[in-house]
Amino acid sequence: MSELEWKKVSAELLILSLVEARPRHGYEISKLIEQRSGGAVRFYVASLYPLLYRLEKRGWILGRWVEKSGQRRRRYYRLTSEGQKVLASQRRGWQAFVEAVNRITEAEHA
Amino acid sequence: MPDWREEIASRLSSLNLGSTCEIEIIEELSQHLEDRYHELVSGGATDDDARRDVLIELNYENLLAQGRLEMVRLAAPGPVVSRNSRQTFFASLGQDLRYALRQFRRNSGFAAVAIITLALGIGASTAIFSVIDNVLLEPFPYKDAGQILFLRLHGSIQGPDEGRQGYSADELLELTRQNQSLESVVGTTDDPVLYKHCAGVEWLYGADMTPGSFEFFAMPALYGRVLQPADYKPGAPPVFVLRYKTWKSRFNGDPNVLNKVFVLNGTARTLVGIMPPRFGWYDADLWIPKTPNPGISTGYAGLPERWFILARLKPGVSRSQASADLTGILNRLAKLQPQNYPAQFQVFVMQIGHSVTGHVESTLYTVLGAVGLLLLIGCVNVANLMLARATSREKEFALRAVLGAGPARLVRLLLVEGLLLAMGGAVLGVLIAWGGLKLIVATMPPDSIPAESVIGLNPQVMAFSLVLAVLTPLIFGLAPALQAARRDLNDPLRDIGRGVIGGFRTARMRDAAVVMEVAVSLTLLIGAGLLMHSFLALRDVNLGLRADHVFKTMLLLPPDRYKTAEQVSTFFRPVLERVKAIPGVMDAAESSSVPPDNSRDSKVEVSGESPDDQRQAQVQNVSETYFRVLRIPFEMGRGFTEAEINDARKVAVVNRKFVSTYLSGDDPIGRRVKVMGLESVADSLREPSFEIVGVVSDVANQGSPGYGRGGLQAPIEPQVWVPYTVTGSGEQVLVVRSTQTPMAIMDEVQQAVWATDSGVALMYPDALDHAISRKLYATPRFALLLMIIFGSVGLILVTVGVYSVLAYTTAQKTHEIGIRMALGAERANVLQLVIIEGLRLVLAGVAVGLVVSLLLGRAVEAQLWPGVKPYDPATLAITVLLLLTTGALACWIPARRAARVDPMVALRYE
Repeated sequence: MSELEWKKVSAELLILSLVEARPRHGYEISKLIEQRSGGAVRFYVASLYPLLYRLEKRGWILGRWVEKSGQRRRRYYRLTSEGQKVLASQRRGWQAFVEAVNRITEAEHA
Repeated sequence: MPDWREEIASRLSSLNLGSTCEIEIIEELSQHLEDRYHELVSGGATDDDARRDVLIELNYENLLAQGRLEMVRLAAPGPVVSRNSRQTFFASLGQDLRYALRQFRRNSGFAAVAIITLALGIGASTAIFSVIDNVLLEPFPYKDAGQILFLRLHGSIQGPDEGRQGYSADELLELTRQNQSLESVVGTTDDPVLYKHCAGVEWLYGADMTPGSFEFFAMPALYGRVLQPADYKPGAPPVFVLRYKTWKSRFNGDPNVLNKVFVLNGTARTLVGIMPPRFGWYDADLWIPKTPNPGISTGYAGLPERWFILARLKPGVSRSQASADLTGILNRLAKLQPQNYPAQFQVFVMQIGHSVTGHVESTLYTVLGAVGLLLLIGCVNVANLMLARATSREKEFALRAVLGAGPARLVRLLLVEGLLLAMGGAVLGVLIAWGGLKLIVATMPPDSIPAESVIGLNPQVMAFSLVLAVLTPLIFGLAPALQAARRDLNDPLRDIGRGVIGGFRTARMRDAAVVMEVAVSLTLLIGAGLLMHSFLALRDVNLGLRADHVFKTMLLLPPDRYKTAEQVSTFFRPVLERVKAIPGVMDAAESSSVPPDNSRDSKVEVSGESPDDQRQAQVQNVSETYFRVLRIPFEMGRGFTEAEINDARKVAVVNRKFVSTYLSGDDPIGRRVKVMGLESVADSLREPSFEIVGVVSDVANQGSPGYGRGGLQAPIEPQVWVPYTVTGSGEQVLVVRSTQTPMAIMDEVQQAVWATDSGVALMYPDALDHAISRKLYATPRFALLLMIIFGSVGLILVTVGVYSVLAYTTAQKTHEIGIRMALGAERANVLQLVIIEGLRLVLAGVAVGLVVSLLLGRAVEAQLWPGVKPYDPATLAITVLLLLTTGALACWIPARRAARVDPMVALRYE
């Protein structure tokens, strides 16, 4: 995988994992990425939504307008079964990559 | 708080996302920006700072536009998953197919009407195109058939189709020898043959062919061989070749007849070849080699020999050059024998198909025009149906688009629907074409198509009309769909479908289509009406005789035994006695022809009048009973007596036309007429001058239409009757008046003939009225039948067209009608409203149709009986009334349905 692809896959991986447990809306996703990374990774509106739409177009996530009482409607994204498979495979790939990196860097320490 | 929507919208506008898509994206993104803004403000930022930061994030790397564009581009290939895109395509195609079928099942009336309309268009046009192609364009199977020409000697005062096509052996030989323009010249002449077999005697239609004829046609024999140069050498063994059809019918297709010897007209000839099925030159049963001899030669029945000449032009020579060349040659001959030529003449070089199809040609082309119009009506109907339906489905399309169907998908759904309709129409259309062709072939007048032509469905024509029929629903189904796809999708959804239907533009298109359809149909109906009027006028023409209860048959006498007048009358006297003795027979006569056939033309001189080269009359040989048998009334003088016939006295009867033309009305009785033609027959008269003893009223003698003769439309020609006993030359016809059905006495007549001479055969036995009807009325009846069929089909299509449009608009207006009725409108008012709306269109169409018909009138005038004008008021009135009635009926059904609307139901609807 090229570097560019790794970046792309990692961004996809982040979003897919965030909507795995439950459906979330776009702002929530961007907040969670920022919080959990301690501000290291940020998705601005201009990069987040194109990515969301692209994942939706591929059928990995599904956006739906949800109206909750007393609130304005919001678009929630949930993981599809197709997305579940992609997420699992991306996770495995990512883990393999991290382990490989770790092995390399640990060997230098030893 | 800032309005984020505008900011986002201005950045999205360049993307052309489609309104629904855009609205949702704006909503989602503006919520995000709003949340972010609140977060920043609550974190302590000023309003301005927060606003600036949010906008920076929005513009970050201008990713929004780029990302969206990328997404739009990505949309086409579909999901990047394992299922391959081809499978998806077919799966959704199957979905479209199922959906379309379900639509048609739910809306079976629409589908049926569209399919039948298309089928009628395809069927009728294919059938008639096939006939025209097979009969007029490609009738002959011969080598370079389009280049084969025949020669017609046309006198300067003759009508356009008149002139002689038969040439003497001298003319044939000189034309062959002297011409500079022809590549090859061949001739054919009649030679009916008697052929004896164990059961009795039969006749076959033989044709004599000059050397090189078979090389000219370049068709090999199916079995055996064709005629070869050796067959023409003096002393060569006599041979002939047989037609396939005759071989099958007379010899049961027995291959053993090849190389057998047959006695034909007293000559033993060997059958050397059987031609393939499509070889049918001259419509003969068999072909015999014959070399034309210079000098006066007589052919069949002792009459002067006449050759029909075929030729091909030398490369680079035009038809007019050839015409000038050949006219020059015959002009030189005319100086030597001026009596054989008109004073001024020209040799026309014409294409061969024309010699046979001349008189049905105009009929077929008229019908072709009619069929074109019919196909047009059909297409307009289907277009109209598709437009109406597509309009009513605007909401459905909008909904599909909102749910994510792209324009391509919508277009494909409509394509699938259109294709299904087209295929249904095509299958049914092929069936109609096949059946229609059989019907046309069965009703075509006899002898109007070349013997060689085989009428079958023409694949190219079929393909043409299929393509047209397939394109029509596609184009007219797609046009509104594409329009819908471009439109703002929310409009039709917001419009709850009341009131204006489909917008004014589509409505106007639909109206225009109906108006055009009515106009076209009226034009067709007026054409049919005019032809019918012409036909009635034709039937009203007095033939000058009573043709009912008359049996007629030609007799073919063995030429070797019947040469002189004495021999012929020795045969006929006992035959006539025996026939008169048959129970039910009132009278019998001998003649050289029967009306409306023409008799031989001859130059005539009248005593007391100055000689004039142009004086011509038809000469017919008859027995004394002839005028009585056919009930031809005398206007002056008397008929022949038995003694005059028996003694072969030189007395004559003439027709009224003869008196008015050549005697300027003077008393003809006692004047003498000299019939020059009787000098040139085999059994010739030295002094052919006859005393006129009687004048009969005019009897049809113009022949069948075509073949250079005009039929009943042409003027009657001057005619002279002379005793059949003055010459042994000429054809022999027996006419018998009976109290029974004419054909019932045929066997007894045959016995009477054979009791006198078993070597004589009956040719073309028939009831006279039947033969006349076949010769004079078959062609116009055929034209009329076709026009009536096409006119009726057109009327049906128009009814369907008016009905479907009105039914559709009325159904759409159910709500409006409900409101009107709830507000107090009477049923009668509603009925009136709908009918008036429909009749308005019909009336407009009638007006246009009348104008078109009058403009086209000149084109059909040539086909009409002289007394019938293209603007014949009775015909126009009747057809307009017929169309209006049908139109009113088509309006009435939907109108009644509208008037039955229950206001409550209509209002609750939606």
